Amino acid sequence: MAITKLEKHNLYDPLEELKRLQSEINDLFDINSYPSNTGLFERNVSPGMDLIEKDHEFFLVCELPGLSQEDIDMSIASNVLTIKGTKNEEKESSEGTYFRKELWSGTFQRTLPLPRSIDPEKISAELKDGILRVTLPKKEEAKPKQIAVKVK
Amino acid sequence: MDRRKNIDTKKHNQVACCDIFNGEETVILKLEMPGVPKENLDISIDNDTLIISGKKLMPSEDGNYIIREIRNADYYQKYTLDDTIDRTNIDASVKNGVVTLILSLKESVKPRKIQIKEG
Repeated sequence: MAITKLEKHNLYDPLEELKRLQSEINDLFDINSYPSNTGLFERNVSPGMDLIEKDHEFFLVCELPGLSQEDIDMSIASNVLTIKGTKNEEKESSEGTYFRKELWSGTFQRTLPLPRSIDPEKISAELKDGILRVTLPKKEEAKPKQIAVKVK
Repeated sequence: MDRRKNIDTKKHNQVACCDIFNGEETVILKLEMPGVPKENLDISIDNDTLIISGKKLMPSEDGNYIIREIRNADYYQKYTLDDTIDRTNIDASVKNGVVTLILSLKESVKPRKIQIKEG
């Protein structure tokens, strides 16, 4: 810690120092100034994903920048979805040195157990702008139904 | 506690992962920006500052999140360019969520061979 400015402390608020400590710790976890794959929870060996449940389907979003359709292999076996892929490093043609290297290349595999309510026959996937979007429709019997009740 | 509320509601910017390759005649920047289509990407140069910003397009947020690992934040980062880079000759392309910027060095900085005349 470098030289810091002397602050006027409030004698009547003993919690002020604690609040300052809290905000300093919050700043530590603020990921604004750091790339998302550094820090305690490294996410560079498996791509980040979102799984969203909607009324009629599940929706899987997976971040796969730099991968084309041929690089990704997706399969489903007994309700376990597996996403495999290889990210090839593009070698620069000319000679030179890396000033900074944060992009990751290699293979990854991620498995995801799916709920029983998913119909494995109707899964569809789309890759656009480095994001894989998978739609997993629910089985007919799992969809919410409205049953009208007649009041006599 | 008031500060915490601010953190939760404000939409953050994030910094994309980046490769900077220092070649002989070019400097190549590669940035991973998944979910940013070409229309949402904005690259500009203001004097010595290169500003790259991209608006991330994520699917609608309604629904129940079972796994949530992707940060829904726009990309924004700045780089300072030095005098060796030719401001007028910058090439940018996007493919599969990876933005590639090729910055050329000025002619006067490029390595060149000096011909030796026979005396």
